[in-house]
Amino acid sequence: MPGQPDMWVFVLFESLVFTSYFCVYLYSRTQHEASFLRSQAHLLLWLGVLDTVVLLTSSWAVARCVQHARTGWYEQARRDAWVAAGLGFVFLVLKIFEWVRLIHFGHTFTSSQFFQYFFFLTAIHFVHLLIGFVVIGVLILQLKDPKRRRQETVETCATYWHTVDFFWVLIFALLYVVR
Amino acid sequence: MTPSFNRRLFFVWLILVGITTSYLWIDHEATHSGVPTASAVITVAAICLALIKVRIIMREFMEVRGAPQLLCRLTDFWVVLMGVAMLGVYVAGKAIA
Repeated sequence: MPGQPDMWVFVLFESLVFTSYFCVYLYSRTQHEASFLRSQAHLLLWLGVLDTVVLLTSSWAVARCVQHARTGWYEQARRDAWVAAGLGFVFLVLKIFEWVRLIHFGHTFTSSQFFQYFFFLTAIHFVHLLIGFVVIGVLILQLKDPKRRRQETVETCATYWHTVDFFWVLIFALLYVVR
Repeated sequence: MTPSFNRRLFFVWLILVGITTSYLWIDHEATHSGVPTASAVITVAAICLALIKVRIIMREFMEVRGAPQLLCRLTDFWVVLMGVAMLGVYVAGKAIA
């Protein structure tokens, strides 16, 4: 099994929590379709696509990190982990830019139901990503110290980072694309 | 020399990025004169594509592909569960509205 079983329990539990958020959002959307569409038109789809590509690339770097660590190429694995963290940081900057832009145009948490969901879902994902930086920090420290290196921990950290990635994949589709 | 796992991961990444950019085309199809219009087909397609991406991430990046059967089946079941819940709520909501 890749990583610790406890992390998989966490992943499955968090997936259920996020799915329940998504269900509430989708139900609200069907009841106020016109209002949601009007608000949604203020989002920049290309920015959402860019966010997603950045996070997918970061996930790719973490997947490579795990495989390089497995083959004993720890120097390269550490570089991959730094690339992943760097791309995660780019995602955070893009997200803050998007929030500032929307607030500047008057779209806040209380301006419409759609933006209430938008800010809630993107903020909760943001918090998960911030935790992800701690996880990547642990990963880098583990890879640096030969006495601490354990493949299971590397895989556990990677599993968390990928989970944050796939939550965003779902959030992106639901907020930016569904009609 | 590039290890074979690097090539495989690269192709997986390419597929995921390809599906992501396909949303630009989907959006273009669902927008008329700059105004987005409601579409159940677009909604269902967007959710299904996202779930396909989630499964690919789990199988390839999270290495579920080579994991014990239990984890393979459990994660597949979870993807189906998420899909059924979201699409079910969406269809029920549309029926009520």
